[in-house]
Amino acid sequence: MRRFSFFNASALTLGFAFLYLPIVLLIIFSFNESRLVTVWGGFSTKWYSAVFANKGFMDAAWVTVRVGLVSATLATILGTMAALVLVRAGRFPGKTLFSGMVYAPLVMPEVITGLSLLLLFVSLDFDRGFWTVILAHVTFSMCYSAVVISSRLVTFDMSLEEAAMDLGASRMATFFQITVPIILPSIVSAWLLSFTLSLDDLVIASFTSGPGATTLPMKIYSQVRLGVTPEINALSTILVVLVSTGVIAASLLTKRREVQRRREERAAVAGG
Amino acid sequence: MNGSPNSGSGCNFAPWSDPKEKPLIRFDAVTKKFGDFVAIDNLNLKIYEREFFALLGPSGCGKTTLMRMLAGFEQPTMGSIMMRQQHLTDIPPHRRPVNMMFQSYALFPHMSVEQNIAFGLKQEKRPKAEIKDRVEEMIALVQLQAFAKRKPHQLSGGQRQRVALARSLAKKPKLLLLDEPLGALDRKLREQTQFELMTIQEKLGTTFVIVTHDQEEAMTVASRIALMDQGKLVQVSTPREIYETPNSRYVADFLGDVNIIGGHILGPDDKEDDIVQLAWHEDYAPLRIRLPQPVSFPEKGTERWVAVRPEKVRITKEYPTDTHNILKGKVLDIAYTGNISTYHVETEDGQIIKSQEANLEHLHRRAITWDDEVYVHWRAGGCVLLER
Repeated sequence: MRRFSFFNASALTLGFAFLYLPIVLLIIFSFNESRLVTVWGGFSTKWYSAVFANKGFMDAAWVTVRVGLVSATLATILGTMAALVLVRAGRFPGKTLFSGMVYAPLVMPEVITGLSLLLLFVSLDFDRGFWTVILAHVTFSMCYSAVVISSRLVTFDMSLEEAAMDLGASRMATFFQITVPIILPSIVSAWLLSFTLSLDDLVIASFTSGPGATTLPMKIYSQVRLGVTPEINALSTILVVLVSTGVIAASLLTKRREVQRRREERAAVAGG
Repeated sequence: MNGSPNSGSGCNFAPWSDPKEKPLIRFDAVTKKFGDFVAIDNLNLKIYEREFFALLGPSGCGKTTLMRMLAGFEQPTMGSIMMRQQHLTDIPPHRRPVNMMFQSYALFPHMSVEQNIAFGLKQEKRPKAEIKDRVEEMIALVQLQAFAKRKPHQLSGGQRQRVALARSLAKKPKLLLLDEPLGALDRKLREQTQFELMTIQEKLGTTFVIVTHDQEEAMTVASRIALMDQGKLVQVSTPREIYETPNSRYVADFLGDVNIIGGHILGPDDKEDDIVQLAWHEDYAPLRIRLPQPVSFPEKGTERWVAVRPEKVRITKEYPTDTHNILKGKVLDIAYTGNISTYHVETEDGQIIKSQEANLEHLHRRAITWDDEVYVHWRAGGCVLLER
């Protein structure tokens, strides 16, 4: 066992401070009584009430949630299909290319994705707005859900599907009655991940959005250009809480499922 | 070790020897290749109704491939598989009247015991009441009444095995395939479960095909055993035949323990004309082997092998009388396994002969011990002559 030295402790503190100090400051100042963002004037939750009373914020929030719900659902469906092909299809010509292309948007600079989508929508003469943001979000969050679901499918015991078919279930029935329920936790975490990705995207949404489809991050960004208000702090705090809840829930789901699966496997081997 | 002559489905059950009997399953010149690898090589086989048929062989011999072709998960590269008048090859797995019990059991983890058993019936959209009755019946058959609502991970290995069996029998298949069904169980439970399987098979009259690499298991449960090697059937016989009259050194050696001595045919015995003499060493008397009646005598000088099971070789200090084959040697090793002792005797020219004696009384002092000069001997009817 390594000793927990002074050096380790300070490295850890510094690292975490670097990562989280700005967010912590933001959260603290969201409870500031004073109108001045950088001067502490006592504890208050009045900015939170102000956020909920602000129609502009609320409209943007509603757009963001709808975009998130629709794009996460579409991305999860497409991601599941891509993952099935990647894991199950065996070898086919162009498989490496296909898997590379599914994962490429993960590392593609957001500006590029946003710009190319913008060009596409313009050249197709597509009215930019609610649906273009959704399409854009589906394209990048689909790869994340494909990654999450394919990592589960790799460990999926194929004899379960064979058993279902052997008992008279068609391929379709097998997929919906056996495969989907068993990989459901990873599907849910893929959905949560896609939802949070959509929730906090600014760059791609800015490129692909149109009038009447301003998302919350876009709204915040435009407000900040006019000056940071404690209202923005409060709103950002709410977003931070939402996003981190989503991410933590997704990882917990995957992890808990993994632990349970290992325990079941151990029981299966030891049982007898 | 001895195969019970009554195993499978009763004493007089032998449809394979009745030419009027039509087989349930027929493999005609079936070949299965995976790339360049030949898993099944031009195989012909008939399996009859109500049989408990065992596919036995070392891993990689093709027995699992054969079973997966019956289930429909693999298609033969050449040849056909018939069930009665129907080409099985044309039917997808979910339409075949064949069910399979998987080695891993493949129980659906998100369903209870009841739901697992009901799964196949629900696919057929049978009436609810009928499904419920059938599930109850199956749960009673495998005695899991107290566990009906549990999920697979709340069951022991033995209980899971029963659920898997009940699930695969629920649809009353014409043919049940069992892929190493007892492989995950410990020895005691496995023996007990073998008898339960036989009881259930007799009760339902379903045809069972079991894949196993455990020869004792095959001998215990099966009405007939097919021993496979490298994609071919080496011998298909009842447990007793395959043990007592193997058709090759491979079979003799795979099933149980055996002494094999090679030699050349000398000719018939002077006194008994159904005994053949085999010259195996210039300094020793030829070995004498009784042949089964209908077999014609092999020509003088042909190479043959004699196989004799250790339990048929007696060991004495005195020179024996009233026997056919006697070899003199020295005790090299004694393996004591409680019920029996196995003596390894080395003859003067270095041949090792194994002899087994049942330990009829408590062993305080052995009559025969290490380095003793002994005679190992067996009767002409206790050994078989092998062509290959």
